[in-house]
Amino acid sequence: MNASIGSGFFNFDFLLNEFCVISFLAKKSGLDERLLVTQLKEGDEAAFKAIVETWQDMVFNTALGIVQNAEDAEDIAQEVFVQVYQSISSFKGDSKFSTWLYRIAITKSLDHERRKKRKKRFAFVKSLFGEESEVVVHPPDFNHPGVLLDKKEDAAALFGAISDLPANQRLAFTLHKVEGLSYQEVSEVMQTTVSSVESLMHRARINLKKALQAYYKENG
Amino acid sequence: MNQKKTIEGRIEEALDSLDGIRRASPQPWFYARVKARLDREEKTVWESISFFLSKPAVVMAGLAAILMLNVFVLSRQSQELGSVANQQGLVTDSESIIASNSSFDYENLVQP
Repeated sequence: MNASIGSGFFNFDFLLNEFCVISFLAKKSGLDERLLVTQLKEGDEAAFKAIVETWQDMVFNTALGIVQNAEDAEDIAQEVFVQVYQSISSFKGDSKFSTWLYRIAITKSLDHERRKKRKKRFAFVKSLFGEESEVVVHPPDFNHPGVLLDKKEDAAALFGAISDLPANQRLAFTLHKVEGLSYQEVSEVMQTTVSSVESLMHRARINLKKALQAYYKENG
Repeated sequence: MNQKKTIEGRIEEALDSLDGIRRASPQPWFYARVKARLDREEKTVWESISFFLSKPAVVMAGLAAILMLNVFVLSRQSQELGSVANQQGLVTDSESIIASNSSFDYENLVQP
């Protein structure tokens, strides 16, 4: 195709080429993903290694955004990939592989948070009965390593407020803001509608503003 | 008023503080740790299966099940044999069977 509209401002050929390259790469990565999954189902260790190396940051970052602790996030990320290896046969391909990974990471992260809360409650009840319990150390403010340097203090305050959000709002906010997923992608991971995600984000922002207001009033 | 403005400003800055955030990465050699964990879990599964199977109660229950199965199969077999023999008019009592096996003239016994 030799048509060109304008000399340098708008080049149709260039745009068409770019589109073709991007489509090719997207198709190729989709094919690669399907090939890796097929190979992993056959027990191919090299495929498993490729899967771990491709998606380890995504899984770790998701867990980190939810549990706000690097050690716990690492532990959860390992559990996620172990589960992927053990239950790959249950992945039917009706969603993207990354969507499936996100769901496993979220489930394990939320399970971890529930176990932590149960331990705290149990320790509190034990202390009421005068039984010795572990010293509860309140964790310091969470600093996400990927936050820009000049925003670290504000981000720490925000993460503190995020940790008090209801689970669904917290998930939607974390997936959108920390993982950078679009509302459409968040809705696929959370298996809900885009309008539900919009509503969750709206309510999350309202709750975060309230929490931050109280925080800044107290801390100046 | 100024303080309120400052707080509101700070809230907005905090809400925007995750803009430009980069993904965090796990510590190096993450795959090696995943592989080690997988190997540990696989060993643990086999260990727990063999531990369960070696329990005395499980062994006794298994033996009892096998014995009952054998009794059931044998009783079914003898019932089937009996019905087949009846159909073909064959002698089924054990004395006649022994007599025929040892060529003993059971029917023409000389009475003492």
